[in-house]
Amino acid sequence: MELQSQHFTRKAVAALADEAAAAQRDAMALFTPVVREAAVQQFGDFEALRQHVKRIRRHSLDNLDYYLARFELEATNNGNQVHYADSASELNSIVLDICQQHDARKVAKGKSMVTEETGLNDYLKRGGLEVIETDLGEYIIQQAGETPSHIVGPALHKSKEQVRELFLEKHALGERELESISDLVGEARSVLRDHFLQADIGIIGANALIAETGYSMLVTNEGNGDLCANLPRVLIICTTLDRILPRGEDATAVQRLLVRSATGQPQTCYTSFYSGPRRETELDGPLETHIVLLDNQRSDILASDYREMLQCIRCGACLNHCPIFTASGGHSYGWVYPGPMGSVLTPLLNSLEDTAALPNACTSCGRCAEVCPADIPLPDLLRDLRHQQSQENIGSPRWRMGLRLHAWVAARPGLYQFLTTRVMSILNKLGRRKGSFHKLPFASGWTDQRDFPSPQGESFMQQYKARRDDRE
Amino acid sequence: MSSESRSRIMARVRHASLGQNAAAIEAQLDDFGVAPAAELPHDDTCVAFMINVLRNQGSIDVAPQRVDVVKAVGQYIYRHYRSHRLVAGNDPHLAAMPWRDGGVLPRFGEIEPGEPVALSYAQWGVAETGATIFLSGRNNPARNNLLPEHHLVVLDVNQLLPDLESLWQQLEPAITGAERPRALFCIAGPSSTADIEAQLVCGAHGPRAWHVILTGEVRQEQLDTALDVLSSKKNPGGS
Repeated sequence: MELQSQHFTRKAVAALADEAAAAQRDAMALFTPVVREAAVQQFGDFEALRQHVKRIRRHSLDNLDYYLARFELEATNNGNQVHYADSASELNSIVLDICQQHDARKVAKGKSMVTEETGLNDYLKRGGLEVIETDLGEYIIQQAGETPSHIVGPALHKSKEQVRELFLEKHALGERELESISDLVGEARSVLRDHFLQADIGIIGANALIAETGYSMLVTNEGNGDLCANLPRVLIICTTLDRILPRGEDATAVQRLLVRSATGQPQTCYTSFYSGPRRETELDGPLETHIVLLDNQRSDILASDYREMLQCIRCGACLNHCPIFTASGGHSYGWVYPGPMGSVLTPLLNSLEDTAALPNACTSCGRCAEVCPADIPLPDLLRDLRHQQSQENIGSPRWRMGLRLHAWVAARPGLYQFLTTRVMSILNKLGRRKGSFHKLPFASGWTDQRDFPSPQGESFMQQYKARRDDRE
Repeated sequence: MSSESRSRIMARVRHASLGQNAAAIEAQLDDFGVAPAAELPHDDTCVAFMINVLRNQGSIDVAPQRVDVVKAVGQYIYRHYRSHRLVAGNDPHLAAMPWRDGGVLPRFGEIEPGEPVALSYAQWGVAETGATIFLSGRNNPARNNLLPEHHLVVLDVNQLLPDLESLWQQLEPAITGAERPRALFCIAGPSSTADIEAQLVCGAHGPRAWHVILTGEVRQEQLDTALDVLSSKKNPGGS
């Protein structure tokens, strides 16, 4: 997928100006944390589960050489063909080769952020294949020619009216009302059912890979991934190295965290484990199965200080709790992964220079770290990326100069207190009558959007000293 | 080339890993112990399972005897389709049911497109999640779980497990054997989606309804208790 993160600020401004879409995002930001919180409370000792899974994930990454070799061995013994893709383009070409070997014409795809990352759909289409996204959200955005706005609900930015217009335009089914969301789902169901039954190849992702047995875990509510995995004659699982876990029980422990954090359910409707092709005695299932393991910089992340990012389980909780994501919307981030996890991952999987705005798209409120089921210190990683940007002289010279000046003053407490006390005192005198400023020199970034409140007169340190003196 | 990529990736991963031997890795893994499971909503495992099935948008019939099962199936199909037909997997438990007593005409095998009802025999149920568990195989075609409008599941309450860890223990003989089952399905609800405006709709691609028929040593009072627990949670201040 083409990187557009250079335009984050411009896109965020446009997103904020769309009042209807902003109201929809606000509604989601109110709703999703509530359902997650209820599910976490109902679970019992969620923190103990979180720490258990964190230990397992860290252990898996620390010993990834062992577990990767084990997974490959078991998956191969199960009858799969295991492929390694160093880059996005290599994954695409492996998948196209498999499709061409089978003279395939139609591909049914389950939701896969990895294949969004590699731009697989466009590549397969250029190779002459018809590719149908079957997750309802992914299907909607595919029909609309858009990209996902959220890693769990890719089309949550669209209203039901917009989906209705889209279906009326794209499905040649004559006159119909399609008034309710139920009607829209029903129509997608009947259109997609034929695609499932006709597809030559099914492509799905994996929420976990189990080293001990070579199974892959797939978690869905719609069941579309399972239809892709069971009906077509060839199955291709596209996933990444960092999904590997030691045992089956580790995968279900991750699943406990994942579904509660993502949708607030105790278990998704379908949690399936696939080991390979159809057995001799079976009536159905794919005749041939492939697992494509994508690296695309992940082994570099494994060797870096950002290793903890590989513990991410793609639940979307950090997006749902992020004020910047709510304000700017997923598309502003300009790539596959939005929100806090995306602001860390996108620079690491692309370049720090082209994604300079993302690590700065953070208020340091810390909610993402609080709710992250993998306990990833997202604000710390974002800060480290900002630090790295500064070290590598990325960003406008004016911005960097300002930061350097601030750092120089802040490192001298006496000077800092002297300057802030004087400035606050002057601003207090100037703004006392009105109580706020409409414009301030050097602060247009603030005052262009909202008034700057007039300071109360005394700095924190002055008040602190005065109270301490009173007490003495 | 994939094999060159494999070598490069493996080399980088090896470089970034701790380089411990297998015995040390396995010992460390054992030290982590068992993951905590979700608290059950009731002390009785069967009632807890029922509560979770209902929370998962499923419905339940209690049918202690085999004749009760076929009657429950017959009434269900008649209620929804005014029909006596359904497709059932080749599971011997289903084949041995006295279908005529319920007025049901099952066809054993794979579901064909357009057939509305399928019946499956679940190998286990998990109380923690309210899931019914199936292993793929000749007795249980995967498409029977995925293509019908209504998915009916028979589960013997003796096969109820408290949590997912118990499930993996039960699975151990199958998954450590020479040929592992192709697929393990944990089904916990009808196919659903909330992809449009976060509104939940059942019947996204697979079954619109998921109906669990519990058989064996199970009583109607247990289902009544499950329903009471759910209604008291919905109306905590209600009389």
